[in-house]
Amino acid sequence: MAYGSVVVLEGIDLTVAEGEVVALTGVNGVGKSTLLSCLAGFRRQAAGTVSVLGGPPRDDPEFWRSVAIVADQPTWYPGLTVRELLELVRMTHQPLPGWYVPVDELVEIFGLSARADASPLSLSSGQRQRLSIAAALARPSSLLLLDEPEQSLDAGFRQELATLLRDEYAANGGTVVMATHDNEFAVTAGARIIALAEGRIIGEAEETGEAEEAEEQVTAGNGSTGPVS
Amino acid sequence: MTAESMTITDDRPPSVAAVRSFIGKRRRRNWVDWYVAGFGLLIAAIYGADFLASPLSRLTKPASRAAATHAAATQAVAGFGLVIGIGMGLLLLAQALGPLALSPADASWLLLTPLRRRAILRRTALTLALLATVAGALLGVLGLAMAGPYLRLAKSGLPGSWLFLSAVAGAGCCLAAVAAAALAQPRRQPRSVIRAACLAVAVVAMAGAVAGERWSAITRAVTAVFGGLSTPAFDATALVALALAAITWLLLWQRLASFPASVLRADSARSGRALLAAQFLNFSLLFWIAEDNHWRGRLLRSKPWPRLPPVLALAWADWRRLGRRLGPLVILAVAAVVPALLGIAITGRLRPDLITAALIAGALAVGSQGTTAAKRDQDDPALRRLLGVDAGQALVARAVLPSLLSGCWLAVSLTVLCAAGTLSGWLWPLLGLIAGPGVAAGVLRLARTARINPADRGPDTPMGNTPPWLISRALSIMVALVGAAPLLAALLNGQSHATTVIDQCAASVIVLAVYLMSARALSR
Repeated sequence: MAYGSVVVLEGIDLTVAEGEVVALTGVNGVGKSTLLSCLAGFRRQAAGTVSVLGGPPRDDPEFWRSVAIVADQPTWYPGLTVRELLELVRMTHQPLPGWYVPVDELVEIFGLSARADASPLSLSSGQRQRLSIAAALARPSSLLLLDEPEQSLDAGFRQELATLLRDEYAANGGTVVMATHDNEFAVTAGARIIALAEGRIIGEAEETGEAEEAEEQVTAGNGSTGPVS
Repeated sequence: MTAESMTITDDRPPSVAAVRSFIGKRRRRNWVDWYVAGFGLLIAAIYGADFLASPLSRLTKPASRAAATHAAATQAVAGFGLVIGIGMGLLLLAQALGPLALSPADASWLLLTPLRRRAILRRTALTLALLATVAGALLGVLGLAMAGPYLRLAKSGLPGSWLFLSAVAGAGCCLAAVAAAALAQPRRQPRSVIRAACLAVAVVAMAGAVAGERWSAITRAVTAVFGGLSTPAFDATALVALALAAITWLLLWQRLASFPASVLRADSARSGRALLAAQFLNFSLLFWIAEDNHWRGRLLRSKPWPRLPPVLALAWADWRRLGRRLGPLVILAVAAVVPALLGIAITGRLRPDLITAALIAGALAVGSQGTTAAKRDQDDPALRRLLGVDAGQALVARAVLPSLLSGCWLAVSLTVLCAAGTLSGWLWPLLGLIAGPGVAAGVLRLARTARINPADRGPDTPMGNTPPWLISRALSIMVALVGAAPLLAALLNGQSHATTVIDQCAASVIVLAVYLMSARALSR
């Protein structure tokens, strides 16, 4: 994967199984977000293959029914409330076969009950981040791509979110691939931690959270049977 | 988590129309929003009609060979060049905004969903087609109006069919061009090719238009083409334009179903920011968007910082940026012919008000190319503090580049006006050069205006609430007007003297000095 003449990712060999949580870690600019962009089909790799849910990222209705992404801060509709926005997400993904969290429950889980009838524009940055993630869980999906979901979130809610991803989303067959700088968050989410450096995978550790340990271990791909490879 | 969260529903997939209706019903708009929008449209229509009345009146004037004087010929050629230039400018603008783009909120919440891509983009595509049709038809009719005195007409005057066919040809060409730009949107190289082609056509048309003032061979050739126009020629042009429009829009319609989400997301976010910035006259944000778009993903070669005193080294940042990005400067340099074209194309006679407005707008735009560091320093003075440079001294050093840029552009533009015969005497370029520092005071003030908070409220006027940011920007433009007052007064009178040069020197020095001193006092 390259931006012009700058090679960002090279020799990536990664397979993610169904129901697995994977956390991409590494210093800023190492290529975590770029890898997520490749999985979402926003960027095309210069060489090699990317397979998501059994084929290359397709950018069609069926693909986006299965894949949910939380990346940059979205732009909010002026005039729509928090609850209405979540209803909108639910509406755009009907029919809803599969696991998702109903709007009222989402509002409560994500600590937005007091602001459910407020405009997202009036929320704090942390509350907006909560709403962005809540929107991704307001409809069924098979693969959830999260780019630094922990940013702007308080420590307590990070733990709650990690638990939700592990015990609810992944336990119901959903796959999570996230870029994160928070190892504790990744460990709580039960993630397999993939450490990246200079655009390459330098190691991985399963639910240990020990980045140092991960860096010692060089990974090897094992086929392309999972939802992401 | 309760068991109820494991829900399976059997609802049918919604249509995009139903989703938009859901959103539309919940957007809280009050009557003031509609009033302000309506008032704005009304004012724009009044000014637009006034602006277009003069060129369009050529269509109703009786055609005769006697009308084909040298002035009329010059006006016809210059006007036609300007019409082509405006067309290319609109196409470049459309390309800069997408041309296919959703509202940023739609891009965030509708694009990456199971909703059909074509259905999501249908409204955008139809709006684009409507705008292209209206703009193209207007440009087609304007083009015909420019040819007015040279058309071989029957005694009954201009046939209605010619007017209709011109509008159809203009609309067809514009539709085809916009569709081609939309088809090229996902790919960088075709996009660059279209941009370069537009620029080349605009430059040739405008250069030819100005050259037509001096070289009668050009006017003779162009007016001969006008004179040879006949109904079959209009028919053929309109038919070809319609066919091109139909083919390109058919291709685009097919492409809409799989138009890449990544391109739409990026372009929608950029155009949303740009439109918001334009709405609030936030020039610095517009500038930042253009810069971000240009520099993202580029590799630069680091060069050593020049051995200059800290205050000059700080100012050097803008010189270096300009040296690395000459494109906008080249475009603005080419735009130096616009005041001359406005002077002769619109009515065939000197329009001092139009020329003056074009000159001051151009000088402000060119000067603002040299104020990036001044703007950045206002938002984040970390580098200046790190180097231990006084804010006032930094601003003085930073005033040099915008002064030079504005002054040089005014000098070139006034030279073109002199060469085109619109202005007489050769003091004008000198006056323009000297007016640079005066305009630069306004440019610097504009760049250093505090960040816009759309929630800020100011005094109520018949046009709605006048927010502080608007007042602040208007004041900055007034500073530039005062700084260049002797030049502008001379332009309005059409005469310049040696005393005007002295007056302009004094005005530039005083306005810039007062601004720098007041800015220094405020920064303490």
